[in-house]
Amino acid sequence: MSHRTGGWVGRPVPLKEDARLVAGRGRFIDDLGRARMLHAAMLRSPHAHARIVAIDTREAEALPGVFAVLTGAEAAARSGPIRPLIPTTAGIPDYCLAVDRARYVGEPVAAVAAVDRATAEDALERIRVQYEPLPVVVDPEAAIGPDAPLLYPELGTNVVWHDTLTYGPVDEAMARADGVLRERFTIQRYASTPLETFGGIAEYDPGTDVFEFWTNDQRPGLTISVLAASLGVPQSRVRLSCPDIGGAFGNKRRPAYLLICALLARKTGRPVKWIEDRIENLTALMHACNGIMDVELGYRADGTVLALAVRDIADEGKNLITPTQHNLIKLGNIANGYRIPAVRYEAWSVLTNKCPSGANRGIGKPFMCFAIERAMALLARRLGMDPAELRLRNYVTAAQMPYTTPPGAQYDSGDYPATLHRALERFGYTARRAEQARARKEGRLLGIGIATSVEPAGTNLASYEIITGRRSASGSAEAAMVRMEPDGQVRVSIGDPASGQGYETVIAQIVADELGLTPDAVTVTRGFDSTTTPWLYLSGNYSNKFSVTDVGAVVGAAARVHAKLLRIAAHRLEAAVADLEMGGGAVAVRGAPDRRLGFAELARTAYADVLGLPPGEEPGLEARHAHQNPLAQPMDTDRRVRSQLVFANAAHCCLVEVDRRTGLVKILKYVVVHDCGRELNPLIVEGMVHGATAHGIGAALLEEFRYDAQGQLLTSTFMDYLKPTSVDVPLIEVDRLEHPSPVTPLGAKGVGEGGAIPGPAAVANAVEDALAHLGVVVRALPITPEQVWRWLR
Amino acid sequence: MSAPSERVAVRFTVNGWPVEQVVEARRSLADFLREDLGLTGTHVGCEHGVCGACTVLVDGRSVRSCLLFAAQLEGRSVVTIEGLTPAEGLSPLQQAFRDCHAMQCGFCTPGMIATTTELLAREPAPSTENIRDAISGNLCMCTGYVNIVRAVEQAVAARAAGAGG
Repeated sequence: MSHRTGGWVGRPVPLKEDARLVAGRGRFIDDLGRARMLHAAMLRSPHAHARIVAIDTREAEALPGVFAVLTGAEAAARSGPIRPLIPTTAGIPDYCLAVDRARYVGEPVAAVAAVDRATAEDALERIRVQYEPLPVVVDPEAAIGPDAPLLYPELGTNVVWHDTLTYGPVDEAMARADGVLRERFTIQRYASTPLETFGGIAEYDPGTDVFEFWTNDQRPGLTISVLAASLGVPQSRVRLSCPDIGGAFGNKRRPAYLLICALLARKTGRPVKWIEDRIENLTALMHACNGIMDVELGYRADGTVLALAVRDIADEGKNLITPTQHNLIKLGNIANGYRIPAVRYEAWSVLTNKCPSGANRGIGKPFMCFAIERAMALLARRLGMDPAELRLRNYVTAAQMPYTTPPGAQYDSGDYPATLHRALERFGYTARRAEQARARKEGRLLGIGIATSVEPAGTNLASYEIITGRRSASGSAEAAMVRMEPDGQVRVSIGDPASGQGYETVIAQIVADELGLTPDAVTVTRGFDSTTTPWLYLSGNYSNKFSVTDVGAVVGAAARVHAKLLRIAAHRLEAAVADLEMGGGAVAVRGAPDRRLGFAELARTAYADVLGLPPGEEPGLEARHAHQNPLAQPMDTDRRVRSQLVFANAAHCCLVEVDRRTGLVKILKYVVVHDCGRELNPLIVEGMVHGATAHGIGAALLEEFRYDAQGQLLTSTFMDYLKPTSVDVPLIEVDRLEHPSPVTPLGAKGVGEGGAIPGPAAVANAVEDALAHLGVVVRALPITPEQVWRWLR
Repeated sequence: MSAPSERVAVRFTVNGWPVEQVVEARRSLADFLREDLGLTGTHVGCEHGVCGACTVLVDGRSVRSCLLFAAQLEGRSVVTIEGLTPAEGLSPLQQAFRDCHAMQCGFCTPGMIATTTELLAREPAPSTENIRDAISGNLCMCTGYVNIVRAVEQAVAARAAGAGG
């Protein structure tokens, strides 16, 4: 169905959107306004766990410029609970504001709408809340215990999910293994913290009973359904639009905030805008789960891994809307790129008095990779093997593709050993080992780290059947529209609003090839508008899904326009469709270039001179298509399911030096070799790899949401929650292999999350390699100078 | 608590245009530029002076507009991304950013352009290390800085070539 003629796909076409962004002409949520608009601010709990005894808002309401104050009790009376964003069993109503109990520091307990943000914040100081502090649980293992304070006494436990899933003869394999490596790894809370914070505007039109939203929410399809349900209005009377989104990385999903704006808008009769400030973002939007993994690797003396058993505790914080996702998304690929025939996975999803967990670049997989790749490094050391050699002995090979993992994921393509070989070559592995030995003699601490990983793309919500026992949402799909306008130019829209992925350019490249045009003739509509963009519940900018679903939607819609152009041209030229060819913005009879009609003429027929259409042909040149990735299937009877669908892979090699005096880790060299299949625009791909790798480096060395025993967040600004800067991130050298995926329309695989997955493990392995002779084992992140300094003493 | 309504008269220039206004004493320069003048190219990323997204030039020096009050600008000359962008097309530095795809979401980019404009005005041929050092106060969550450094290097090289070097 594809008619690629121009060869635009695969070229490093400079980005259309960069031309406006570099001039400050992006249009972000905080750049938008409405007439008579009010500004909201939120009062947040200073306690990690407290009963809300009373709230007195009178003084705030009396402040000039204040239009409304909304409390949790009022919100619960005027809206329904927020529907979970994933299938879950908890079944506890969760409102947009805390009603009678606050469960983490920063949980919103009241909101104000005023003439401007400053006045709204002044009003917050005048709201009197009487709290009765309750016992706090911060540690997830403590939260499991029988005497733990409960976030939801009505649930009777803090455990949202606990189950043990076994695939293959694990006990038998462990029993016949020459040895079993047992180790505990932990990961901290961190987040990708997009530079633009979350925000939205809500407006209620009583004349039409329509709620209208503008927001940088990255999952508009799902958010519309949540908002409509909570507001008790039909989805046809909720309109939601997204402008440019200033980075998302999974973090930009919080329908509760939009609901608060909507309730204030209905109450005041005015549009209400709320923009999260950075402290609110770091304290209360979402963190990747901190977690604990107990890993057991049963191995033969030659290094072959026979079985893997993992006990995985995910600390969800106060999260009733997306619990269990950090567990479940690891399950299919818990053995990473290794051919391990027997796998046991014990999952714990646990509530604590901390910020809600949520999607963050690679959800759970950075921890999966950290634990498995650390275990492989330790096993290599135990066996006296080179860590690269141990990996090569255990990889799924190219000949074994497609390979189904014991829990049911399908690795579709790639050559994992070749990826590592290329990385070692680019890194100069042998030379670096010699450099390390020389440095050691001079008393310098150099270390080499290798980490490799699979990078899944696309999500199949049917996988939650493992937890809930029934299917609600399922599959993996996206919708797009291609419309040739009456002048022969093309406009495209898609249900996935970009947050920095260059869709206006790469989609134009795809459509240009499908229709025989140049990308300049194709305009991709910025963002999302639920009244004009085709969309599904599954629509959005998440889960690395562009290659898995979006490309298919665009190609499918373009193919329909292509076919219709040919039918109209055949009629007009009195030729058979089979004798026509398309290219250069025209359709011509093959071998008779004078018998030719340009797109503008064909479009004029389709829209204006419709009596010139073939009999029965519908006027217009617009087509919609939704692509459902066929790999997404229901769970099977052995509880195996493809929770994710298409698998890229990568190998990271880094060289670090540890400063003996300060404990500072400096990255001297960093090489990434990755295979995301066919690269649709290499300029975009390489940028994604750089950025994701920098996220991994931040998680490895700098970033941590650190809580004290009372549940107070100690790192709530960018002065103490440290992001990697230009002097922390090295020049990341990127090389590629290109094994096209057989299960996506153009052979592309995911690329947005890849670097963030092996990055933390690569850096950790390098630091340990530098310090192993001192008896250091890296079991936790981040590796701060303070931590290294303690190891060195 | 000081009276939030206290107001101050202030006169300065923004992108060469005179501005004469009475502002709330607590109004930040960032909010003044964005909300009172509608210059939304200046972005606000942290409001505590770390991320650099709101960087603008005041008398040629890069400053964080979230940490200044508009009332402090009396007699100064402020240049924002709107003033750094030619009426037609892009500046050579902006063009280098575009050629190198030195951005993804684009939220940090106006601040990066302001900071590197100051760098290039100060140092004709900064080394890679100088460039990394100069932008170390501007956070970018998307690019890992690799292409930003490349873009500034390309702008430096283009300027050297253009100067007959």
